[in-house]
Amino acid sequence: MADSTCTSEFCNAGWAEILTHMSPYGYANFGIAFGLGLSVVGAAWGIWLTGASLVGAAVKAPRIRSKNLISVIFCEATAIYGVIMAIILANKVKKPDEATYFLDEDWDFPGFYYAGYGMFSAGLSVGLTNIASGVSVGIAGSSCAIADAQDPSLFVKILIVEIFASALGIFGIIVGIIQSNSCTFPIAPLE
Amino acid sequence: MGDNYYEAGNISYPCASWAPILGFSGCVFAVVFANIGGAYGTAKAGQGIMAMGIRSPELLMKNIIPVVMAGVLGIYGLIVAVILNGKMMPPQNGTGASVYSQYAGFAHLGAGLCCGLSSLASGLAIGIAADAGTRAIGAQAAMAASWKKMGFTGDAGGQVNSTGDALFVGTVLIQVFAGNLGLYGLISALILSQMDYSCEQN
Repeated sequence: MADSTCTSEFCNAGWAEILTHMSPYGYANFGIAFGLGLSVVGAAWGIWLTGASLVGAAVKAPRIRSKNLISVIFCEATAIYGVIMAIILANKVKKPDEATYFLDEDWDFPGFYYAGYGMFSAGLSVGLTNIASGVSVGIAGSSCAIADAQDPSLFVKILIVEIFASALGIFGIIVGIIQSNSCTFPIAPLE
Repeated sequence: MGDNYYEAGNISYPCASWAPILGFSGCVFAVVFANIGGAYGTAKAGQGIMAMGIRSPELLMKNIIPVVMAGVLGIYGLIVAVILNGKMMPPQNGTGASVYSQYAGFAHLGAGLCCGLSSLASGLAIGIAADAGTRAIGAQAAMAASWKKMGFTGDAGGQVNSTGDALFVGTVLIQVFAGNLGLYGLISALILSQMDYSCEQN
C-alpha cells in the first residue's frame, strides 16, 4: 500500500471503504424505493402536464375529453413500469436461511455486493428514465389535446409523437430487468 | 485468499468486490441520460409539430422525422447499457471470488457516461432545432397562403405561390448533424466497452 495512505480513523481509505461499508441490503432496497418513487414522480408530472392542457382546451371543445384520456393512461403506464420493477426486485432480496449472529468467512461476500449494486442500479435506471419519459409524454399529450381541440383529424398524428415518447420508458425497464437478472443474494455459505 | 482479503481499502486486488458498481453505474448513466435527451427532443419537436399542424395538417407527417431521430437516441442508450451489462460477470459460484475488475469497471463507467451525455446533448439540439424548424415551415405555409389570398401571382423576389422544399430540407439537414453527436458518443462508448480484464479462477 502507498505510504501516503491516511491511517487516521477520521478519513476513508478510498472509494472501496465507502462503497463496501454500506449494506448491500440497503443498496437493494434503496434501488426498489428509487425505482418505484421516481417512476411515480415522472408519471405524476406527465399527468398534470397533460391534464391541465386537456381541461383547458376542453372549455371550448368539450368533445375532446374522452379521447384525450388516452394521454393520461400513457403516463400511468410509466408508473406501472416502476411497480413492475419494484415487485421483481423485492422478490430478489432474500435473507439468509439460518439466523446467525455473524457471517463467517466462507460466505460469498462479493456476491452480496454484486447483488446490492445491481439492484440499486436497476432501480435507478427505471426511475430516472421514467421521469424523463413521463415528462415527455405529458408535454406530447398536452400538444395532442390542444391540437385536437382545433382540428379533430390531428389527434392520431400527434399521438404518434406520444408513442415515441413512451417508448423511452420501455427502454428503461428493459435495462433494469437485464441488470437485475444476474443479481442473487447469497442465502447460505459456500460449500 | 490472504489475511486481509476482506479489508476493503486494499487496492492491490484488481477484481475488488466493489468493482461492479462502476459497471452498473455505466449502464445507468447510459440509459438515463440518453433517454433524457430523447425525451427532451421528442417533447420539444412535438410542440413545434403541434404549432405547425394546427394551421397546415398536410405538412404534419413529413415533420415527424425529428421525433424519430430523438427516439433513436434512446435506443443508443439501450444498446450501450445492454452491451455493458453483457460484460459484467457475477462472482463465481464455487469460490465466491470476483471476476469483474476495476479496470473494466472504470472503462465501462466511462463508456456509459460517453454515450449518455452525448445523447443528452444531441437530444437537446434535435429538440430545439426541430421546434424552430417546424414552426418556420408552418409560418412559411401561412405566409404563402395569405399572399396568395392577397393576389400576388408573380415571383416577387422569392417564392410566393409555391414555398418549395428548401426549408424542409434545411431542417432535416440540421437534424442529421445534431443526431451525429449522439453517434459520436455511441462509437466512443463501444470502443471503451471493449476494454476488459477479468480475473479467471482456475
